[in-house]
Amino acid sequence: MRILLVEDDPLLGDGLRAGLRQRGWQVDWVRDGEAAERELKAEPYAATVLDLGLPRKDGLDVLAALRRAQLTLPVLVLTARDALADRIRGLDLGADDYVAKPVDLDELAARLRALVRRAHGQPQECLQAQDVMLDPAARTVRRGGVAVALSTREFDLLQQLMLSAPRVLSREQLEQRVYGWGQEVESNAIEVHVHHLRRKLGAGLIQTVRGVGYVLAREAPR
Amino acid sequence: MLGLVLGLVTLVWISTALLTWFDTRHELEELLDSHLAQAAAVLVAQQYDADDERHVDAPRLHRYATTVAFQVFHDGGLALHSANAPRTPLVDLGAGGGGFHRVRRNGVAWRVFVTRGRERDITVLVGERLDSRDAILWAVLGSASWPLLLALPLLALGVWWAVRRGVAPLHRLGRQLSQRRPQALEALALDSTDRELLPLLDALNGLFARIDALMGVERRFTADAAHELRTPIAAIRAQAQVALAEGDDELRRHALNATIAGCDRAARLIDQLLTLSRIESSGVLVTAAVDLAALTQRVVGELAPRSIAKAQTIEFDAAAPALITGDETLLAVLLRNLVDNAIRYSPRGARIVVAVRGAGAEVELDIDDSGPGLDEVARQRLGERFFRVGASEESGSGLGWSIVRRIAEAHGLRLEAQSPGKLGGLGVRVRGATPAPAARP
Repeated sequence: MRILLVEDDPLLGDGLRAGLRQRGWQVDWVRDGEAAERELKAEPYAATVLDLGLPRKDGLDVLAALRRAQLTLPVLVLTARDALADRIRGLDLGADDYVAKPVDLDELAARLRALVRRAHGQPQECLQAQDVMLDPAARTVRRGGVAVALSTREFDLLQQLMLSAPRVLSREQLEQRVYGWGQEVESNAIEVHVHHLRRKLGAGLIQTVRGVGYVLAREAPR
Repeated sequence: MLGLVLGLVTLVWISTALLTWFDTRHELEELLDSHLAQAAAVLVAQQYDADDERHVDAPRLHRYATTVAFQVFHDGGLALHSANAPRTPLVDLGAGGGGFHRVRRNGVAWRVFVTRGRERDITVLVGERLDSRDAILWAVLGSASWPLLLALPLLALGVWWAVRRGVAPLHRLGRQLSQRRPQALEALALDSTDRELLPLLDALNGLFARIDALMGVERRFTADAAHELRTPIAAIRAQAQVALAEGDDELRRHALNATIAGCDRAARLIDQLLTLSRIESSGVLVTAAVDLAALTQRVVGELAPRSIAKAQTIEFDAAAPALITGDETLLAVLLRNLVDNAIRYSPRGARIVVAVRGAGAEVELDIDDSGPGLDEVARQRLGERFFRVGASEESGSGLGWSIVRRIAEAHGLRLEAQSPGKLGGLGVRVRGATPAPAARP
């Protein structure tokens, strides 16, 4: 999952980025409100971790601007301002979660997972399609109860397709959602990963819609 | 208070009564004595006309006449006398003394006037009983005293009422104060009728306002400290957690170094908060003559290694000592913050020039760098607590400028940021405005 971290403090930003990466997230990091608004409007992030006391543009202003622009991505506000009034204001402005600093990285990751899941209308923590079960927290995939080893990219790609089903995602959309900044994307990378996933999980799980992209079939085709 | 007033009133009242007594007695004596003398003179004159009627009793004229007596002696014998006068002279005539006498005859005190005829041997004695005089005196005094005696309790009542009314606002104020919670520092309400209490209330409210301001500084300090420490602590926590979970040596070392840097930053933040709190809560400066040039040189010397580590060129320029009056410790804090900012926010290879000129009110301190400078908006916001210059790699506390501004204000120094300055980056100008340090209220 690709998220945008908005934090002006270099040490905290660095720590959060490293911690969330350890927990399987693709993290892009910006340090001011204007950059945050620009990036969030340009890229399809699964969620954003937003600090409030930001240079150039306050976090709450960024939040308000996002919601005005009809962007519905989950926003987790991470801030030192933890007065009740601040929290209420943040939630009223469209924040999906409000966490006071300091925060445990595992908790932060769990909250992000929950936000992303809910944003995709998934009530369960584990994603299920056919005989494949994906556990985002443990980052494990089982097929018919048997663990299947997937690379990071393969896992991210599968998770994205499972979350988005039954929507069809183009190759570009998948690239945008799976790769962070500065990561080399081979021109046929998505095709290669899909190929590997089909080999490991069965050919019927991911279907190609010619000229459009890929879609995950929740039920096995008859 | 009330007892004192009543006692004083009683004392004044008794004094007035005594004065009236003595005054009345004196006036009465003069008046009656003059009547005695006049009566005697009339009697002497009569003796020349009524020469033949000897030993004739004078008629009793009036009931009051019993208190008055006269004797006329002619050639040594009693020629004429009033009914109540004895046959022997009231006053021993041998003494030969004319004028007034005080005598006692048969247990009765008399005031007697003696006079003699000029040509013949006539002696006239006119006497008046002293107890009659005293009776008049008592009557006069009595009639004068009744109103005073009546007035005394009325006066006491009035004084009691006035005093009670006068101190009532004090009682109300006392009640209001005793019912206050220690945190309540809003101004006391003033009744428009309690005008006498205005100075007291003003003084009290002034005190409350000052305490409130001081407590506000403390409260803000606590709140700010709690808030601003959250970010470095969050950073320390996140980095430590990353280090714990990291398998890669390089990345773990990076996270651990970042953890230590976070601790240093938290410590620095606490130092700066404390400094700011000290400046804000203590208006009094420890002032002495300070050579700003020497002090600046020392600070630049202290910080130069950091500048050199960034491959910057740092220069100090002062031709002569620059004496000003101020608090050396605080001025050093001001200088350290400004020079540190220049080093911190200028890129590698930049040039920094610190110059001191003049002295006293004309002192000039310039700190210029060839860094990126600051835009108008950022310059305006400098000195706002916790305002950090945007998107900078450096992790300042956002308190440096607040501290610098506070110290400058406390010393009556003007502070100004120019961008672009002399070297193209930020130029900070500190100018002496007042020769003497101005203590903050």
